Amino acid sequence: MLSLQHISKYYQVGGNKNFVINDISLDIDEGEFVSIMGPSGSGKSTLLNIIGMLDEPTDGFHYFVDQAVHQLKEKQRSALYKQYIGFVFQAYHLIDELTVYENIETPLIYQDVKGSERKAMVADMLDRFQIVGKKDLFPAQLSGGQQQLVGIARALIAKPKLLLADEPTGNLNSKQGEEIMELFRKLNKEDGVTIIQVTHSEKNAEYGTRIINLLDGRVESSRTL
Amino acid sequence: MIRNYLKTAWRNLLQNKTTSLISMVGLAVGICCFLLLTTYLINELRYDRFNVNADRISRLTFSYKSADDNEAKTAAITPTAPVPVFKKVFSDIEDGVRIVNYSNMRAAVVQFGDKVFKEKKMLAADESFFKIFTFKFIQGNAASSLSNSSSIVITASTAKKYFGDDNPMGKILKVDQKNNMMVTGVIEDVPEYSQIKFDLMASYAMMPRSLTRAWDSSNDYSYILLKPGADRVAVAKQMTNYITKDRPQSGNKMWFSLEPLTKVHLYTTATYGLEPSGNIKYVYILGFVAVILLILACVNFLNLVTARSAERAKEIGVRKVMGAMRGQLFSQFIIEAGIITLFSIAIGVALLAGLFPSFSTFTGQALGFQTWNLSWLLMALVALFMLVTLLAGTYPSLYLSAFKPIVTLKGSASSQAGGVMLRKSLVVFQFVVSVFFIISTIIAGNQLHYIQSLNTGINREQVLVLDIGGMPYTKIESFKTEISQQTGVLGSTASYDSPVNVGGGYSINTAEGKNSDYNLFVTAIPVEKSFTKTLGIKLVAGSDLDIGDEQQVQDTASAKRRYSFILNETAVAAMGWKPEQAIGKKIGLNGRMGTIKAVAKDFNFASLHEKITPIVMFPEYDWFGKLLIKTSGKNTANTVAAIQAKWHKFYPNAPFEYHFLDQEFDAMYKTDQRTGGILTAFTVVTIFISCLGLFGLAVFSTRQRIKEIGIRKVLGAGVVSIVGLISFDFIKLVLIAILISSPIAWYAMNSWLQDFAFRIDIQWWVFVIAGGTAALIAFLTVSYQSIKAALSNPVKSLRSE
Ligand SMILES: Nc1ncnc2c1ncn2[C@@H]1O[C@H](COP(=O)(O)OP(=O)(O)OP(=O)(O)O)[C@@H](O)[C@H]1O
Ligand SMILES: [Mg+2]
Repeated sequence: MLSLQHISKYYQVGGNKNFVINDISLDIDEGEFVSIMGPSGSGKSTLLNIIGMLDEPTDGFHYFVDQAVHQLKEKQRSALYKQYIGFVFQAYHLIDELTVYENIETPLIYQDVKGSERKAMVADMLDRFQIVGKKDLFPAQLSGGQQQLVGIARALIAKPKLLLADEPTGNLNSKQGEEIMELFRKLNKEDGVTIIQVTHSEKNAEYGTRIINLLDGRVESSRTL
Repeated sequence: MIRNYLKTAWRNLLQNKTTSLISMVGLAVGICCFLLLTTYLINELRYDRFNVNADRISRLTFSYKSADDNEAKTAAITPTAPVPVFKKVFSDIEDGVRIVNYSNMRAAVVQFGDKVFKEKKMLAADESFFKIFTFKFIQGNAASSLSNSSSIVITASTAKKYFGDDNPMGKILKVDQKNNMMVTGVIEDVPEYSQIKFDLMASYAMMPRSLTRAWDSSNDYSYILLKPGADRVAVAKQMTNYITKDRPQSGNKMWFSLEPLTKVHLYTTATYGLEPSGNIKYVYILGFVAVILLILACVNFLNLVTARSAERAKEIGVRKVMGAMRGQLFSQFIIEAGIITLFSIAIGVALLAGLFPSFSTFTGQALGFQTWNLSWLLMALVALFMLVTLLAGTYPSLYLSAFKPIVTLKGSASSQAGGVMLRKSLVVFQFVVSVFFIISTIIAGNQLHYIQSLNTGINREQVLVLDIGGMPYTKIESFKTEISQQTGVLGSTASYDSPVNVGGGYSINTAEGKNSDYNLFVTAIPVEKSFTKTLGIKLVAGSDLDIGDEQQVQDTASAKRRYSFILNETAVAAMGWKPEQAIGKKIGLNGRMGTIKAVAKDFNFASLHEKITPIVMFPEYDWFGKLLIKTSGKNTANTVAAIQAKWHKFYPNAPFEYHFLDQEFDAMYKTDQRTGGILTAFTVVTIFISCLGLFGLAVFSTRQRIKEIGIRKVLGAGVVSIVGLISFDFIKLVLIAILISSPIAWYAMNSWLQDFAFRIDIQWWVFVIAGGTAALIAFLTVSYQSIKAALSNPVKSLRSE
């Protein structure tokens, strides 16, 4: 599904190149569930953002569904992104001014999905995540776990092939975390969504099919479960 | 999609009530003021343009300059001959009209049955008047209504006043007890924006002088209607040639000019016009104020909207992550800005409607939505809407949507230097304008106060002015004797004209020790012997007029009279004499021969915009137009009532109308004062808008720094140090603004002052006060926010992060 070849990213600090990602090559196939681990500052989020096209590498080649991302223009890249990728954040990043329903609906609006169709899709998603009763509440009126559910629902509404999650359970207690992980596993198994998650928890990492350990911007180890 | 945008916009609005309100109110006030001023300006600029022939009509003016004069004098009044003669001689002239201000010296007393009114706005004009100018006839017809020497055309409200609901046509109005005038037409009331304003328009043929065709004695206003395509300047040149060709000009120069009708109101420099002229300078000033206010309001609006949008950087990041394209974000911000702008404009227009009546009273012009061409107004509003919306919407969408979402999601976009710099410069700009206005207002106020309190050499206080035009002196004299018994009356004196604004061009054309062609143009005024004493005009040499001088001119036939003249210092200096030398010198004033009896200390007898020029006061008891009664100022109401009672005893048929000399004096500076007033009002508005902006920014800035403040408090910072920390950031900006503004204001006000021959020097403390005021207001505005922030519980603010 995607392939990174000799990807590097560095920041110029003083005269020095400060490598955050240092020559990483990585292939991920469709249907995989990858967990990325590593100490704080090792470049996990940066890597995930590069994969999700929110950030650009300084060097290297990036292929996504057989397209050379590093050669695409901004517009084409975001079209590709829109079509294939959903993002989940540790801090949820819901829009405070919109209700649960509207938050979930927003990506569809940006993809010019028709109103009636949107309604059906959102209703479906609300149903699936069992948050129908909360649809008219604002984010501030939800618990952290509920907010993250909405965040995931929003990431999934446009039926992405690839779900990227940066510490999706980082702000949740372990029970809420487990529920999210179960949900991810189900998505991966039943719907065939490729998932890449960043996590600090060994236990959550084990939900995946492969665990990649980063250290100082390099892949330290990679093991398939 | 639009619905989603609208919804977000609406919720955003509600969620930030204070700041939304601040930005809307600021913009609304700005728009309201802009439209208010624009309305005023439109009214000034449309002056006289309602005349269908406006671009073919010119006013004839006459300029003269003697060899002994420094500057040419241009008067709007002309003799009786030019119009009929030129009309015949020059083929380029289609028509012409002479207008005479019948009620110039004193109001006409007009009677119908038992209804008697003093009419201050009665004119008389040639038959062609209504053919040249466009006034709407309700009854009668434009072409023929003045064809008879006893015809009179009146306005609708005048008709109502005399005849109620009866048909006015054919009714007889008795004018000044002698002329029976028949109403031959009723027109709609003359618009305020006409230079020729009247309630009654009589036939020129009623005036005795209509029989003469004189080239001297200017009293008429002459308007010429040129044929289409005729060259105005060339025609004026021909006119000048016509009158000068067979008289050798020995150093004296005289010429005619034709002023385009539409330029008269704002551009003329001719004196003795039908009404005090406007001033194109003030049109520019107010236009400038209007634009500045609008810019200010927009800037303020922008500032607040963008400050808010910086807070929304995260939201934008999220939306981008969810697949929003820049175009889509752009639409969202535009729509949001559009909604606020729409609200603001609506509030502004409502405010405008509410303010029109009082603004009309204030400006003395009937201003309202009707002043505008409505489709123009609509277009202006739409243009304004689009402009503000685009400005307010574009910045955040372009600026913020350009960020990488990961940057905005980290929450660092709001502290990006670019936006902060921009906002700070905008605040500086607002305060530059505010300080400028504060300084201008103080200086203008000082100047106007200076004018009012300046010792003009005449004691204007508590002087009552009565119209006595046309009354024989014997009657005036006995009335004077009668009121002199009255307690509260200190003295009285009659004169031809009001002493604060003397008209009357004469020339001294013979003088002892001067060449035979000596000619000095002077202002001169027939006065009673008690004139200088009653008005407190000081004499620097010689002695005042006495009973002997009075008898000289009263009892003698005019050809043999010997006059005693009082000249002012400027006049004797112009003649090359010292005051003491001048006493006893023989001079002649337009044929009046006599000697200089006294030299008066210079006093202002015309607007303080002008320098003091030579003036001659001479006793001539045939022409008195005004009675000036000096009262003690104690119990004025009683004194006036007593004078009124006596007046009615003397003149049962003449209405009693009076004013005070200082009112008349003040009225001469009405345009200045009005502009001063407008300046003050709009200074308040600019300060208000600027403070709104500052307040809004303080809200945002404290909100942004809430964490910093929390941490500082936890670390032990006191309230004072935190208030200082936040306030200083803003005060700094105001200080910069003061530095930028002061020289600009100094320059602008200095050139404004050049218009006054009598003016103040600009004092340094004005800048200190203005700067101090601005800084204080800014401090108070900001400190509310900073104190609130400093008092807030740090635990709360830290937890929310
Ligand atoms: N704008 C920047 N300039 C310089 N260095 C940066 C910048 N952004 C990130 N870094 C550095 O990149 C490195 C990797 O950051 P990244 O956010 O990917 O770490 P992470 O592995 O996700 O850590 P955590 O587990 O704490 O989330 C960090 O050391 C950080 O200091
Ligand atoms: Mg991270």
